[in-house]
Amino acid sequence: MVESAIQAGAKPVYGVLAEFDDVDSIAKAAREVRDAGYERFDVYSPFPIHGIEREMGLRPTKLPWIVLVCGLSGTSLALFFQWWSNAVDYPFKISGKPLFGIPANIPVTFEFTVLLSAFAAFFGMLVLNKLPELHRPVFESQRFRRATDDRYFLAIEANDPLFDAKRTSELLQKLTRNPVELCHDSGQSGALPSWLRAGFVGVAALALLPLAATVWARAFDTTRPPIHIVRDMDSQQRFRAQVANPVFADGRAMRPDPLGTVAWGELGASGAAQAGKRGDTFVDAFPLPVTSNLLERGRERFAVYCTPCHGQSGYGDGLVALRASELQEQNWVQPSSLHDPLVRTRPVGQIYDTIVNGVRTMPAYGRQVSSDDAWAITAYVKALQRSQNASVDDVPLPERAKLGVQ
Amino acid sequence: MTHTLARQAPTLGDRASRWGTIALGVGVIALAAAAYFGWAREDGFKRLQHAWLVACAFWLSISLGGLFFVIVQHLTRAGWSVVVRRVAELVAANTLVTAILFAPLVAMVLKGDASLYPWADPHHVAEHPLLAAKAPWLDAKFFALRVVVYFGTWFLIGRWLLKRSTEQDGASGVEPTLALERRAPPAMVAFALTLNFAAFDLLMSVVPTWYSTIFGVYVFAGSVMSFFAFSVVALRFLQKHGLLEREVNVEHYHDLGKFLFAFVFFWSYIAFSQFMLIWYADLPEETFWFKTRMEGPWAIVSVVLLFGHFLLPFAGLLSRHAKRRLGILTFWAVWLLVMQAVDMFWLVMPSVETSANPVTLAGIVSPIDVACLVGAGGIWLFALTKLAGGRALIPVNDPRLPQSLAFENF
Repeated sequence: MVESAIQAGAKPVYGVLAEFDDVDSIAKAAREVRDAGYERFDVYSPFPIHGIEREMGLRPTKLPWIVLVCGLSGTSLALFFQWWSNAVDYPFKISGKPLFGIPANIPVTFEFTVLLSAFAAFFGMLVLNKLPELHRPVFESQRFRRATDDRYFLAIEANDPLFDAKRTSELLQKLTRNPVELCHDSGQSGALPSWLRAGFVGVAALALLPLAATVWARAFDTTRPPIHIVRDMDSQQRFRAQVANPVFADGRAMRPDPLGTVAWGELGASGAAQAGKRGDTFVDAFPLPVTSNLLERGRERFAVYCTPCHGQSGYGDGLVALRASELQEQNWVQPSSLHDPLVRTRPVGQIYDTIVNGVRTMPAYGRQVSSDDAWAITAYVKALQRSQNASVDDVPLPERAKLGVQ
Repeated sequence: MTHTLARQAPTLGDRASRWGTIALGVGVIALAAAAYFGWAREDGFKRLQHAWLVACAFWLSISLGGLFFVIVQHLTRAGWSVVVRRVAELVAANTLVTAILFAPLVAMVLKGDASLYPWADPHHVAEHPLLAAKAPWLDAKFFALRVVVYFGTWFLIGRWLLKRSTEQDGASGVEPTLALERRAPPAMVAFALTLNFAAFDLLMSVVPTWYSTIFGVYVFAGSVMSFFAFSVVALRFLQKHGLLEREVNVEHYHDLGKFLFAFVFFWSYIAFSQFMLIWYADLPEETFWFKTRMEGPWAIVSVVLLFGHFLLPFAGLLSRHAKRRLGILTFWAVWLLVMQAVDMFWLVMPSVETSANPVTLAGIVSPIDVACLVGAGGIWLFALTKLAGGRALIPVNDPRLPQSLAFENF
């Protein structure tokens, strides 16, 4: 049968294929074939056979060394990049930790070591096994289909130096009771189709684009603003607080309530809002006793709500004001100094009214600050004004010694 | 096949009493030496208690690692490990002796002696608000009760696993094996809870103000690692004396080596996790524990652990060839057992203040430590030989024994 097959085949011979019934017989056959001096042969089985590589005389794989080298590269690359990016290129102190604090860098280093090791193991395995291989001439045998089911095959390839179609077939026939067949190479390629390979190259090239863009951005300076692909809500078209709006005659983007309207939820607040006035005149007496507790509360609330613009001492030099003048904001109205003679002579009712209802660009604080707290702040403002315009006569006698004055 | 094996089942035979006597003798001499060195020192009693805790924790950790291993084998119905499982069962069942070894420490707590556990002194607790908050848990009687529960659980599980497995040796069916597999899951839950809380109670409460939720896992990782190291050493020892020579081969050692390697890394992973979170959060009530261990001679011990317990054995056991060369594997197994002792020492001993100034490495290590380790070990090994006695050293009638005998790694 084999002889006739040799004569009939115009196609080149790929090798001889033998079929086995069980693991033991194929393991024995692999050893026989190896002992006969063959080197270019392979065993096909539905599952991995323990120890078959020993029977076949395969050399131990080089894969562990590839994984080791890639793993160590991962370790050193991750450490190097964290050191370079955080301690050298853009020194950035985080949580008071050293710029290059090893413990903080270990998790990334660990993950990157594992990542590169896994890549090396997976792709190294593919490369060493010359995979993917979509076709082998043995696939053309009808009986070979059972190699993924319940049969075991051994194929000796024709390019083995010892190969001789007749003698090799006889050797295998001695080892199995199943018919041994000659395989021909129909010339079909086992390589990936060219369009798929082109696709992989294309994807790989695309994957390099972000890297190229990063390198480009680092290498060249530009005055143009960054490209903002997803605009989100942080760059929407709207007017921000305190900016100019040419639509309105007064040029303000923040609109005051139209005359005669009351905002939602403010009806009940009108009592507090009006508490600074009796009729149309501002009151000049506190409606609650002025105690040191009230002043202390006022000092604390003043620090929370007033100091950002008016400053700790009330001269209108708070951080917001300083920042605004540094940016030369067109529509910024300088906050008043609380020690301006005009402000100092105002009745307490008017100061209270300013806090609760606002004035000019100063917003109304009636919603954040309760009526009592607004009075407390008023009391503190009065104390603050007094403190900045006091003479030594205001200091009680026992205290003067402490200040070193008479 | 199993019947032929059963007839020639390897046992220790008269070697059990001979080795037992040697172990007990060495142990008693070492204990006498520990008592002598302790008596000669001014703070000897305190030192003795700390050293005794280190020694007991070391030998207990091997038993607990063994308990974990045996339960996992039944849980996963493992085939490869049958030939090495009986030795593990004996190690796992050897907890009664550790309970006796621990008893003096618990007695000291009940007596109100606070030289090992500072919380045992009510005055000390009353002065520290942090300890006062923990007082309901760190209560002498409650502590003693918990220790009884821990050791009771380990003793019952360990003995039951051994009893059922020995029963299988002479059984006609596979009922004992099935029973072991059925009971393995609840045993694992009980093991996990008791080991975790025992680690908090016995080791972490030496510094009662310090806390680390991962501490139990840390102790677990070291325990399992030291069990695999002990297992390799014990099997090699038995084989040197002509036992299990045909049954246990390089394939089984290879797998034990893989486990040893895995738990070297797992210990390092947990140890670093514990360190990094505390280092990063930088809270004084947590960092002081590490600060003690990063200053003076304790920094040297920490570096010894970093290299000896992680980097060197990791590199040494990484290769397949290292795990399959028994000389190399045994070297690392012995090395890691030493490192487990160093680790227990590192956990407990910094609590002992030394009067020497400046503190040197020689100042923190004492002959008491070595004497206690050997003393507890002698008694522990003596109990192990008693337990091994006339039992077969492999589960001769286990349904998966043929699978284990024919086991091959890829």
